[in-house]
Amino acid sequence: MAAARRAKRVARAQPGFMTLNASIKPEDLVGGKRKRINKNKKKNWNKHIDVNDVEDFLEDVRHQERTTGGLISEKTDESLFFLDAGNQKAPTQPVVEPTEGKTGRRKASRPLKVDLILKNSSLVPVPKDVLAYQVPNAKKLRRAAQKAEQLAAIGKRPEKLSQKPSLLPAVEVIAPGGSYNPDFFSHQALLLEAHEVEVKKDKEEQKILRRLAYDKDDRATEETIFQEQVEGLVEEDEEDPDDVDDGCTLGILNLVEKKTEKQRKRERVMKVKEQRRQASRHKTVQYQQLFQLRSIKMSLRQQEQRTKQKQIRRRANQEAEKFMPRRLGKLKFKAQDLEVQLTNELTGSLRTLKPEGSVLKDRFKSLQKRNLIEPRERAKFKPRLKVKYVEKRGVSDGSPICILRTERCSLPLAGQCDSIVLVVVVVLVVVVLVLAAVVVMRDRQE
Amino acid sequence: MIIVVCRRLCILKGIYPHEPKHKKKVNKGSTAPRTFYLMKDIRFLLHEPIVGKFREYKIFVRKLRKAYAKSEWTGVARLKDNKPVYKLDHIIKERYPTFIDALRDIDDALSMGFMFSTFARTGKCHVQTIQLCRRLTVFLSIKGIYYQAEVLGQVITWLVPYQFAHDHPTDVDYRVMATFTEMYTTLMGFINFRLYHSLNLVYPPKLDTKAELTLKAEDDDDYALDSESYMEEDVEQMEAREKERMEQEAQKKLFEGLKFFLNREVPRESLAFILRCFGAQVSWDKSLCIGGAYDVTDESITHHVVDRPDMDKQYINRYYIQPQWVYDSINAKLCLPVEDYFIGVTLPPHLSPFVEEKDGDYALSVKVTPGKVKTEDRARLEQEQQAEEKRLAIMMMKKKDKYLYDKIMFGKKRKANKLTAKRKAHDDASKPDKKKKAKKQ
Repeated sequence: MAAARRAKRVARAQPGFMTLNASIKPEDLVGGKRKRINKNKKKNWNKHIDVNDVEDFLEDVRHQERTTGGLISEKTDESLFFLDAGNQKAPTQPVVEPTEGKTGRRKASRPLKVDLILKNSSLVPVPKDVLAYQVPNAKKLRRAAQKAEQLAAIGKRPEKLSQKPSLLPAVEVIAPGGSYNPDFFSHQALLLEAHEVEVKKDKEEQKILRRLAYDKDDRATEETIFQEQVEGLVEEDEEDPDDVDDGCTLGILNLVEKKTEKQRKRERVMKVKEQRRQASRHKTVQYQQLFQLRSIKMSLRQQEQRTKQKQIRRRANQEAEKFMPRRLGKLKFKAQDLEVQLTNELTGSLRTLKPEGSVLKDRFKSLQKRNLIEPRERAKFKPRLKVKYVEKRGVSDGSPICILRTERCSLPLAGQCDSIVLVVVVVLVVVVLVLAAVVVMRDRQE
Repeated sequence: MIIVVCRRLCILKGIYPHEPKHKKKVNKGSTAPRTFYLMKDIRFLLHEPIVGKFREYKIFVRKLRKAYAKSEWTGVARLKDNKPVYKLDHIIKERYPTFIDALRDIDDALSMGFMFSTFARTGKCHVQTIQLCRRLTVFLSIKGIYYQAEVLGQVITWLVPYQFAHDHPTDVDYRVMATFTEMYTTLMGFINFRLYHSLNLVYPPKLDTKAELTLKAEDDDDYALDSESYMEEDVEQMEAREKERMEQEAQKKLFEGLKFFLNREVPRESLAFILRCFGAQVSWDKSLCIGGAYDVTDESITHHVVDRPDMDKQYINRYYIQPQWVYDSINAKLCLPVEDYFIGVTLPPHLSPFVEEKDGDYALSVKVTPGKVKTEDRARLEQEQQAEEKRLAIMMMKKKDKYLYDKIMFGKKRKANKLTAKRKAHDDASKPDKKKKAKKQ
């Protein structure tokens, strides 16, 4: 196909070729002034170059290979020719009459056209299968195995998901005091537990109240208020002399001066001395440590013990974490209240039992406690602030000349709006007043 | 996908929120508390074929709404007929590859199942008649009834609410609970199927009395199942196991041959379940529910469970007992004396079988010396009650009063101590005198 296109192109490019295409100008086709093409450029290899002769030759070669399995010029004489040495009567085979079908057609004996088309009747020998001779090295095999594994593991459930998020048991049985007809001591124990919880809650409340409390004596009296208001207003007679300022400035100027040579030398000497002192100190300390071995050992042992204890505590904390409810969402987990019935509520009979708590709530809380869902609570609807309509009086003395209605809403920008509106209103009012006055005066005059 | 559907999927697949170690890193600098899920888990979620079903359902809802709005009733009917449904079977098989895994999660499933069955009394509830329970214990609490049973080596505890008194709490997310229940009912279906098949029964069972009777007869098969799993053992272990087995067999036949009749006011389902577990025959009034085999007038009834303060018509040859007798007998693994549980008698306390330490001893002591314990109890009870009242009163005192009270008690104690010290000093002083006297004499 490409060859045909190329051929057409080349043909059209030859001089003297007439085309129906308007783009090719006839001047180009005529005579000497032909466009010079550089045949060495890659762009021009496809066009402007005629390879038809090569193509024909190659096609011929391929045809020979297809039909006869190789170039005819390379074949031996025996394969191509045979010596005709007279007639030898070949035994004639009996002609087998083909069994005719119902309608007399011979389609059963003849092969299908489709099969004929699809039959590969080329004599070109099949090339050798190179891949069959390749032996992959261990690295390639491993990589292939890994890839296969990854592919297989795509749809499978990851192992981490089969671990439970918490090791708490699903159903925690209530203490023996929670029986509908409990024995005395266990009931008391349960009551004590509930009591502890209440005491704790009460303590928290008291703590907050105590923090908020203030001493009645610290209240502001009229005297103190007056003092505060009057502070700084009363002039005292004492005044400081202000000649200290000059000295200060001088001192400041002095500080910024450069360091003198003396100072630098001094500093260097001090540094060296200090270093020597440190070195000797270090040596004496090392010498002395030899005698402090026992105490050093003890302190080391104490440190080790401390770290070990810390490790134990950390591990215990980590273990405890597995049983704790984790923080999984916006809300913290709130444990439910202990279900306990007071002594006067206990009835010894199953018929008159009033169940405490709800199993549904218990299950819900249990799911949260075991980190299966995050703590959820009912969505509260925040009351959107309503828009209020307010009548505003423009003039400060309250005269009803100009009454405007404005909306007052609780947005933060409203304050500014208000002030702008107020200013506008005042201006308008003033203008109206002036006009009214003018009118009145005019009337009076007239 | 909408967050609601996503959450439902996570619950069904068993993907739980994850608390990250470094919240700031994950939350892009802020420490605002949010719910996090692992990306790997969510990616795994997307392979789920049910996601497609959810999409179809969403489309179905949209089409239905449109049809309703246009009042195309034929269209509505057609859509409703072709409503997309999904099944959770493959999820259950994926989450619980072995039967034991499923059994481990069964207590949660049972509790949820029972709870929802008390809501919707339609045919959707799976009536659990697990006959494979050995070592069943029951505990009646103020919250509900706790059961504990051992099935194929797994100890399962579950909670069943009382039939009466349902206040629906408002701060429970019903959608989440419904999703969990959906998953658990499928799980229970699978487990029941397996258990019933191991008993050579058809699942789901036809709910009539005949089927229930045949269920009882197949109990012996489970022993065979369990004993096969223990192949090599020493003699001691074998003996211990044999002993256990004998005990369990005895326990299984605890109520064998007894005929019970349940009055109207007792918790019928719970009692029927546990009585049948232990080989008894149970019946109730026909007007309550189907399944009452015999009537109250049947002469061969041995025990009649009543919870009223008194009963007008009483038959002679049957015991009238309160329901606590059944539960206490099961926990004690023997038939307790019936006299303590007659109508109108103050019942002994119902102890919890979940306390591991001294439960056995309690039962034994009660069995051995019943009479003694009773008489001591009364006097002691009085004393204890008084002591309790005093203690409560002390606890409820105001701080000021408590302060005064402490001071008074301290003063009294000091006096008492002083007296004893004086007495001691006097004795010590008089000892040498006494010795002298004795010496003299």
